[in-house]
Amino acid sequence: MIRYTLTRLALLALGLLIASVLIFFTLRVLPGDVAQLIAGVNSTPEQIAAIREQLGLTQPLPVQYLDWIGGVLTGDLGTSLWTGTTVASEIAEKAQVTVPLGILSLLIAVLFSIPFGVISAMRRGRADGTAMSVGAQLVAAVPVVWAGMMLVVVFAVWLGWLPAQGFPRAGWQDPGAAFRALILPALTIGIVEGAMLMRFVRSATLQAVGQDFVRTAAAKGLTRNAALIRHGLPVVGLSVITVLGLQVAGIIVGAVVVEQLFTLPGIGRMLVADVDARDLPKVQGELLALTGFVLIVGFLVDLAHRAIDPRQREAS
Amino acid sequence: MPRRSALTATALVVVGGLLLTACSPASTPAPTPTGAPDPDASVAIRLVLEPGNLDIRQTAGAAVDQILVDNIYQGLVSRTPEQDIVPALAEDWNVSSDGLTYTFTLREGVTFHDGQELTPQDVVWSLQTRKDTPDWRDSARLANVESITAEGQEITLALSEPDSSLLWNLTGRAGIILKEGDTVDYQTAANGTGPFVLDRWRQGDSITFARNDAYWGEPALVAEVVFDYIPDTQAALNAALADEVDVVTGFEAELTPQIEADGAFTVVLGESTDKGTLAFNQTSGPLADKRVRQAIRQAIDHDAFIEALGSGQTQFGPIPSLDPGYEDLADVAPYDPEAARALLEEAGAEDLELELTIPNFYNTTIPTILVSDLNEVGITLEVNSVDFGTWLTDVYTNRDYDLSFVLHTEARDFENWANPDYYFTYDNPEVQELYAESLAATDEGEAAELLADAARIVAEDSAADWLFNGASVVAVGTTISGMPSINVNERLNLAQLAKSNG
Repeated sequence: MIRYTLTRLALLALGLLIASVLIFFTLRVLPGDVAQLIAGVNSTPEQIAAIREQLGLTQPLPVQYLDWIGGVLTGDLGTSLWTGTTVASEIAEKAQVTVPLGILSLLIAVLFSIPFGVISAMRRGRADGTAMSVGAQLVAAVPVVWAGMMLVVVFAVWLGWLPAQGFPRAGWQDPGAAFRALILPALTIGIVEGAMLMRFVRSATLQAVGQDFVRTAAAKGLTRNAALIRHGLPVVGLSVITVLGLQVAGIIVGAVVVEQLFTLPGIGRMLVADVDARDLPKVQGELLALTGFVLIVGFLVDLAHRAIDPRQREAS
Repeated sequence: MPRRSALTATALVVVGGLLLTACSPASTPAPTPTGAPDPDASVAIRLVLEPGNLDIRQTAGAAVDQILVDNIYQGLVSRTPEQDIVPALAEDWNVSSDGLTYTFTLREGVTFHDGQELTPQDVVWSLQTRKDTPDWRDSARLANVESITAEGQEITLALSEPDSSLLWNLTGRAGIILKEGDTVDYQTAANGTGPFVLDRWRQGDSITFARNDAYWGEPALVAEVVFDYIPDTQAALNAALADEVDVVTGFEAELTPQIEADGAFTVVLGESTDKGTLAFNQTSGPLADKRVRQAIRQAIDHDAFIEALGSGQTQFGPIPSLDPGYEDLADVAPYDPEAARALLEEAGAEDLELELTIPNFYNTTIPTILVSDLNEVGITLEVNSVDFGTWLTDVYTNRDYDLSFVLHTEARDFENWANPDYYFTYDNPEVQELYAESLAATDEGEAAELLADAARIVAEDSAADWLFNGASVVAVGTTISGMPSINVNERLNLAQLAKSNG
């Protein structure tokens, strides 16, 4: 287990390094630069050049990369070219919206997908089971933006139950209002992600039904459903954990879209604005942090999986 | 992915809009505020474009001027929404008859937000530093100022030659007065003399101003103003309908029935200096031929833009109606596809293929109308939708474009037509001469006449096309009074803003 963990850890570090190179150099392909945006229309080439010089953008790219990655290794994710605030502090502030949004979305996805997935598998071939399965297919195919719009029209504009957009200015000092602001965005992501997850739960459950140990349990006198719940579901749960790891990436992508739609001041919206503003040091800091987060979740899921699943331990 | 999501978003707005219309009751006339103004009120205003940072010295963009000038920072003089020049930090001023000496009497008892006193030396330092620092915005606008001196409360600007635009320029960034030797971090904080102080900036979300209780003039009528940056119009409409904002600027006039439906908002249309400018790269190629440019102008049905946007007016020359030198130039390029086809044939430019480079945050109506109008006369228009950073590089800096659309919001910006290095690529010595004469004129009327002459030549040369002169479309809550409605994209003076409790 220790050797496995170390190998896995080395892979994680390598992944982050490769990601940093990719992030840095692919962003440099974007046309346009921040100096030009700061100087704006009605600026002279001299003004733009002066700003570029001030910001240190005239250095060769490899030097800029080493500067950045050197900073990252000492815990400094860089600073915004526009405002001079640190990327880490900006991420910390915006995470107060995005992290609760992500957790809430995941909760909704899980609460919705597991029972429906299992039930629709157990009722395979019957009308209600098929309806659930087809419904999930449809919901999973719905664009997040559209789902969000519909939720807003119904719950915010028609019924007036929940806010249509924005986050309370007092933030979490007003927990009720903050929570209410996140319900519709989290439902938007949670339902769409949950529908995808439900299809997975369903097929994992169906697979478990066919497993020898479930059949053995059934042969020993349990009903098919009882055998499935007692012996099959732990296995299903295990594979769901793995998929949940992947789901985190989906939720981050969903957050980018949903934060735009609901004008939530989170990491996703900040990222889009920073790309538009060509605040590349900030964008690369944000992307690296997000990539790191996803990679670390993957790493933890792998470790957890190995620790829980006896079959994997025996194999090593 | 971005293209697809933009398409989806558009489709959704349409669908959402239809749903909203379907469930709205018939529009009723909006009541006027009946209650008393509430001095403790907080007013939330939806704005579209957030400033990248708050540095009034260096950062470009109307988003900075829009909120900071007048409210936070002030100059010796200011301008009203009707574009009249009025006193601000100067009680009074005097211009010598030869137009070479400007004398201002500085107000006494003015303090900065941090409590420091405004001294005549601060004024001299601010203007001199602006003039001497090319990196600061609009520093070139003080080029004709030879010396800036103070004696007591009298500030004197001596000019090397008359400059009819100087007072106007002093109402903008060029005239902002800062505290000498201030150590404030201008990018994220502010220290001015205006009726509001910067309270909090939540980047990517909102900016909050609080009333300046130590203000030298009439104190603001509300305790707090919050600017909520909501780029998407549909989201802004939802926010208004859910009572989350009191005022929506940059509203789309065609959505008026929806926002006015429950009687809580009234849509107010005001004039603006927004010019929907279709630039022609005329350095070489088919667009170097004036007949081709004229043909394009005549192929475009300008009324269609006004109809589609639901607001604004047509404009056929470089100067909008709020600016001096305006005249109606509709006779220069009337809509006439037949004439356009004839001109193209004469120029041997049939089956022309051109590319339109347009920043992606503009309404898709604009390229749609252009593509169909130009197609009508045999020009194939390919639309290249880019983000603003790309537009700046490709079009503004590298002049790598055929046609380009951008909304130029600045008031009195005729200078770009007299600058052959500007991205418009328009170079006419006669226009440059007339513009220089207009600047040197000591009489306002004469200056305006010279500008009008120059503007007519620019229009007759088909140096560009002006698709429309935009309107300020502001949806104002019925409890709100004193909200400016003219040219709000450029300046938003909130000194009179009030919210009633009824």
